[in-house]
Amino acid sequence: MSETAAGLLFVASLIVALAVVHRPFGDYMHRVYTSPRHNAAERGLYRLLGVRPDAEQSWGVYARALLAFSLVSVLFVYGVQRLQDKLPLSLGMGPVTDHVAWNTAISFVTNTNWQAYSGESTMGHLTQMAALAVQNFVSAAVGMAVAIALVRGFARHKAGTIGNFWVDLVRGTIRILLPIAFVGALVLVAGGVIQNLSGPHEITTLTGGAQAITGGPVASQEVIKELGTNGGGFYNANSAHPFENATSWTNWFEIFLLLVIPFALTRTFGRMVGQVRQGYAILAVMGVIALGSVLLTNAFELSGGGTVPQAVGAAMEGKEVRFGVSGSATFAAATTLTSTGAVNSFHDSFTPFGGMMTLFDMMLGEVAPGGVGSGLYGMLVLAVITVFVAGLMVGRTPEYLGKKIGPREIKLASLYFLVTPVLVLAGTAAAMGSERQRASMLNSGPHGLSEVLYAFTSASGNNGSAFAGLTVNTPWYDVALGLCMVLGRFLPIVLVLALAGSLAVRSPVPEGAGTLPTHRPQFVGLVVGVTVVLVALTFLPALALGPIAEGLS
Amino acid sequence: MEHLPSWIRRHLTALRAVAVLTVLLGLVYPLLTTGVAQALFSDKANGSMTGHGSALVGQSFTGKDGAPVRKYFQSRPSAGDHDPTATGASNLGPEDVIDTPARKSLLTQVCARSLAVGELEGVSGARPYCTPDGIGAVLKVFPGRAVSVNQACPAVPFVTSYEGLEVECARPGEDHAAGRTVPVRGNVTAVQVPADAVTAGGSGLDPHISVTYADLQAPRVARERGLALGRVRALIGEHTTGRALGFIGEPAVDVLELNLALDRG
Amino acid sequence: MSTPVRERPAPEKADGRVSGGLLDPRQLIRALPDALRKLNPVTLRRNPVMLVVEAGAAFSTVLAVLGPSLFAWAVVVWLWLTVVFANLAEAVAEGRGKAQAATLRRARTGTRARRLTSRAPAEWDVVAAPDLRQGDLVVVEAGEVIPGDGDVVEGIASVDESAITGESAPVIRESGGDRSAVTGGTRVLSDRIIVKITQRPGESFIDRMIALVEGADRQKTPNEIALNILLAALTVIFLVATATMQPLAIYSRSVNPGGPDSLALTGDGVTGVVLVSLLVCLIPTTIGALLSAIGIAGMDRLVQRNVLAMSGRAVEAAGDVSTLLLDKTGTITLGNRQAAGFVPVAGVGEQDLAEAAQLSSLADETPEGRSIVVFAKQRYGLREREVHGARWVRFTARTRMSGVDLGDRQIRKGAATAVMTWVREAGGHPADEVGHIVDGISASGGTPLVVAEKGRVLGVIHLKDVVKQGMRERFAAMRRMGIRTVMITGDNPLTARAIADEAGVDDFLAEATPEDKLALIRKEQEGGRLVAMTGDGTNDAPALAQSDVGVAMNTGTSAAKEAGNMVDLDSDPTKLIEIVEIGKQLLITRGALTTFSIANDVAKYFAIIPAMFAAVYPGLDTLNVMRLASPQSAVLSAVIFNALIIVALIPLALRGVRYRPSSAAKLLSRNLYVYGLGGIVAPFIGIKLIDLIVQFLPGMS
Repeated sequence: MSETAAGLLFVASLIVALAVVHRPFGDYMHRVYTSPRHNAAERGLYRLLGVRPDAEQSWGVYARALLAFSLVSVLFVYGVQRLQDKLPLSLGMGPVTDHVAWNTAISFVTNTNWQAYSGESTMGHLTQMAALAVQNFVSAAVGMAVAIALVRGFARHKAGTIGNFWVDLVRGTIRILLPIAFVGALVLVAGGVIQNLSGPHEITTLTGGAQAITGGPVASQEVIKELGTNGGGFYNANSAHPFENATSWTNWFEIFLLLVIPFALTRTFGRMVGQVRQGYAILAVMGVIALGSVLLTNAFELSGGGTVPQAVGAAMEGKEVRFGVSGSATFAAATTLTSTGAVNSFHDSFTPFGGMMTLFDMMLGEVAPGGVGSGLYGMLVLAVITVFVAGLMVGRTPEYLGKKIGPREIKLASLYFLVTPVLVLAGTAAAMGSERQRASMLNSGPHGLSEVLYAFTSASGNNGSAFAGLTVNTPWYDVALGLCMVLGRFLPIVLVLALAGSLAVRSPVPEGAGTLPTHRPQFVGLVVGVTVVLVALTFLPALALGPIAEGLS
Repeated sequence: MEHLPSWIRRHLTALRAVAVLTVLLGLVYPLLTTGVAQALFSDKANGSMTGHGSALVGQSFTGKDGAPVRKYFQSRPSAGDHDPTATGASNLGPEDVIDTPARKSLLTQVCARSLAVGELEGVSGARPYCTPDGIGAVLKVFPGRAVSVNQACPAVPFVTSYEGLEVECARPGEDHAAGRTVPVRGNVTAVQVPADAVTAGGSGLDPHISVTYADLQAPRVARERGLALGRVRALIGEHTTGRALGFIGEPAVDVLELNLALDRG
Repeated sequence: MSTPVRERPAPEKADGRVSGGLLDPRQLIRALPDALRKLNPVTLRRNPVMLVVEAGAAFSTVLAVLGPSLFAWAVVVWLWLTVVFANLAEAVAEGRGKAQAATLRRARTGTRARRLTSRAPAEWDVVAAPDLRQGDLVVVEAGEVIPGDGDVVEGIASVDESAITGESAPVIRESGGDRSAVTGGTRVLSDRIIVKITQRPGESFIDRMIALVEGADRQKTPNEIALNILLAALTVIFLVATATMQPLAIYSRSVNPGGPDSLALTGDGVTGVVLVSLLVCLIPTTIGALLSAIGIAGMDRLVQRNVLAMSGRAVEAAGDVSTLLLDKTGTITLGNRQAAGFVPVAGVGEQDLAEAAQLSSLADETPEGRSIVVFAKQRYGLREREVHGARWVRFTARTRMSGVDLGDRQIRKGAATAVMTWVREAGGHPADEVGHIVDGISASGGTPLVVAEKGRVLGVIHLKDVVKQGMRERFAAMRRMGIRTVMITGDNPLTARAIADEAGVDDFLAEATPEDKLALIRKEQEGGRLVAMTGDGTNDAPALAQSDVGVAMNTGTSAAKEAGNMVDLDSDPTKLIEIVEIGKQLLITRGALTTFSIANDVAKYFAIIPAMFAAVYPGLDTLNVMRLASPQSAVLSAVIFNALIIVALIPLALRGVRYRPSSAAKLLSRNLYVYGLGGIVAPFIGIKLIDLIVQFLPGMS
């Protein structure tokens, strides 16, 4: 079988697997977020936290609780890194430098998991477990909470509240993420991913050389890194590392993990708004974009454009043999389409257009299917904008899911849509305008520009992957990218929660023949078109001077 | 606690949440996972160790002098010298074709590796865009002249003329930025050194090589060890991981296990 | 004062499409001075998109002065033209209103009023119309102009309201009842009335009308505000995209130092003029330029149909209406019962019955009676005839019969019970059959009139409420638009159902009181539906006020007109349907032009990006799919296209996008193909064509 055929089967099998779990898993998450009952463990947790789980919150209170939790998390992760030499299991590593610690703290709390550090040479085991992996869970749970809050905004009528942040956080963590993570970790260990608490130990190689084999609780972190679309690897090489991603089938499993929640949440959404078909429409939008991107990335990588891939005969630089070109391209598309940012191959060495696809995936705003939660809320905001323009074209004040889209909703949605492009473009321009920051580029010419553009796109979109040639552990980049991550995460979240609050109070408009149907292929195509066209228009000048210039040379 | 301002109460709640969740997710979960993993899959949980390192971690089979040990199958090139404490890739882009005093371009690295592997295995190491001496075949074209930028004088340029312009060697220190970059494909058609042999993997620890690359090395290893080629080929087959379920991933040969098997006889 | 203020309502086209006024090229020229005045940034502030264009135009003017080139000046001229064209669109739209306002004003100025100084109608003083206050009583006689809005408190008069309605036939206005309201500026043709002024000074109907058609107090509607926000956001995005491109361009130039500087790109980056051109081409200028014109034209289209909307909000709401309350009488039915059949009893010929019915009705001047004569003639060929020696028996409330005595032949027709009693009194024994026929007709919603000779029942006349022609089709169209029609009637449920079925309305409210109406509106609104209704009586006022779109008939009372948010000067209740269509058309036009505007950007990128960067990255010339002649001509062509498309679309903005009642999905598909796909394709063709001409200008290569 040719690599192309195997690659297509690989993609097809992923689709089948995601389709199989979509319904039961989406329904399960629906129960998690709508059930009125708290189990014993949760009741215990609420008592420890000192919160009343049945107290509903307005959007403002919800947002403030979320921000408080994130602020304390940042300080905590920063503190652990700075003090790791005083804590157990440090493996003799010193404190992490202040700007790297700030960047990393922000990065993990914002679900970006950009790695300004190299795990194996910077972080002790306790830092990895107690600071970084914890955020892998809770930042994902926060994203899901926000998405669920927005869906409640659509589902509720004349309501002043959108849920309780602490309950959503706790339930998402212990009812959804934790059980899957535990089972998934064992599956990965069965495939060869390591799970121990040893430090590096020297061995003698076959030819008499020395090699330090590292240890660590990798599987338990690897699984949540994918499941929570986090992406911060235990090792610098991330999921390319054999200890993180040991075989071709663990590779399949990891891609599955990073796609499963974002896709299944569309079912949860459909159930919560009482119209399953609306969930399928959103799923279709995500699916069409994602499949298009996966196939294009595969096509570009397998055809191996660019001088070096032509010289080599395949785009194998930065890719592992066991995954092959296709297995790497599919992972790359999946990790950038979701806001994961884990990598099993190095995008910097991709063909010009293959690399552009990973950039473009992120520029879509991490919506197809996007990060856990963030993908759904981002897509719903895009749907709102689409409905607005399309709704006008059917001659009615636009409405989505029975909620009228008025000036306030459009203001919030527009601001949401503005945040990421402004951060990406302003950051890139600032870096490219400075001789000193340009010096961080490893590659020259348009590819160097792509490296910088990629860094700011990844940080602002909370992806976390990189054109890793760029040296980013400098104070300037750590601070600038950290700001992009904070603003790129929390501005949209606050806007989405405000949108949820504003939608929740509205009473619904009944559906009629004059209502724009938002569950048909027509609407799906329209959202896909609006998303792709708006993104392309925003970023075309930058892309033209980066990957397009490189690819057309 | 009730009389505190609400923002302080909120942050105290957050603090407690972080503390409680850290204990649950940061300690209980990984330690429990470790315990179960060690109990169920202790070999794999500890890194699939063999007598000479991990079967999952690629290592270099070169001697102290850096030259390949001829009786062993060779690994792929590594961007990090197979050092597990400094993993990663080269991160060089597809159009990284011009050498600088600081480092060789990716193209030149590929060409050089191809030449070296070809020599080692006794086949041609020629590739497109490579000069016969294993350097990236790239011209900088100016109005009126062309320079083979990767070939510093007094080297002889790989072509004598380009579109009627005479091709010169690169004078060290000269700035060629203003020229138009033209990689020259050449006329190599049959490439004998496979792709994975001339490129670095993603982790720097790729434990595998392609079956093609293993087959290319088989005659040499058989010769060195005085084994029948068929026996070596059979061992390659034994240590080849095919595609899982027939379509997941690419067939790959674990180099350390193969070499260990050879050593065991 | 019989000024025909505006054209008569444009006749509806055969395809049911709402048409608008045509654009006269002279209007463009007349509007030009206004368009230039609007260049003032203070006025332009209301329109952020065009403000950005103006700032860009000013900036590039400075650049062109500092570094003159033919290319730069050409771009500068077209950038300014872009702003002027946008202003022109607005000015043209406003200009139409202004012309109407001027005529209206003429009607008002100079009117004097005879104000009664006491209740006695003999004592008055003369004051200027604008000095009248609420509650003043004025006396108006034949030939005089009514000085202000009010209600007739005494007398009856025929009034020429053509100043307001354009309708020259006089109307009757009398004290009490629902025909008591008079409007300032109309002329009394006969008799003498005393009017109690209900308006506050300066707030007369005409004053409001003038303000409305001039667009003076035009406030942005919620939907317009929302769209403006979206356009502002897009503008910001493209502003950021072009501004941040500069460091990237400088870098790209610096790593490719070979090749000469071009008019588009130098070592200092993309030149200012080209950068501004790119920005102006990308921001949604098309819709930004036409947005306010669309709104004004929407109101104007209503005015052309003799409907005055008190706010733009109401017009917009009209597009959203999902329930339409229609009064049966006058709206759905012609208002009079008409003979629709003669049903004889056994043993009587149809022809005989027809003859008897006709005889009994010859002197009956009621509409029902006339319809019987007409029906007998049409269906049975019985001509009207002079009957000699007949004694006509008139209908009285006591006998509830009418008829004729012709010699000894006595014929009566009337309510079943009355006629049956008359027959029995004469010794007849009407068969049960008569009762069955009568019940059958009642059940089908008709009114039975029994016809009898002395002692013998001949048969029954079937009187029917006649549904206006074409109503069924209109309601079907409404249903396709997603609008539910509810018929309001005082009839009993049985009759109401029959008429509802015949007219094809979705639902009916029988034996409706004003309270029932109000309750129905509230119920619909609670379900999130927007309700539109028409009304004329004072008792309609609460319901009019409660409905989202309340159209008061101009013939109605002042209370009704105050309560509604639209007034139909023709007092035609079916116009509600057109109002809904205009509301929809307004929104569709906005959406379509927004889509068009954004879709246009694709082609502009393909023109400008290669123009800017092919010099440093020759590969990017692949993107020059239009094969434009040179970078300069590419940029200039894009800018010219961007400006010309505004002018080209002014007629569409004024006329509104074609609207056909159909399902939302079909409408969307159609508009997407035309304005989405068309918006992508059109500029490729347009820019290429412009480039074919522009390339011959000096300095373009």
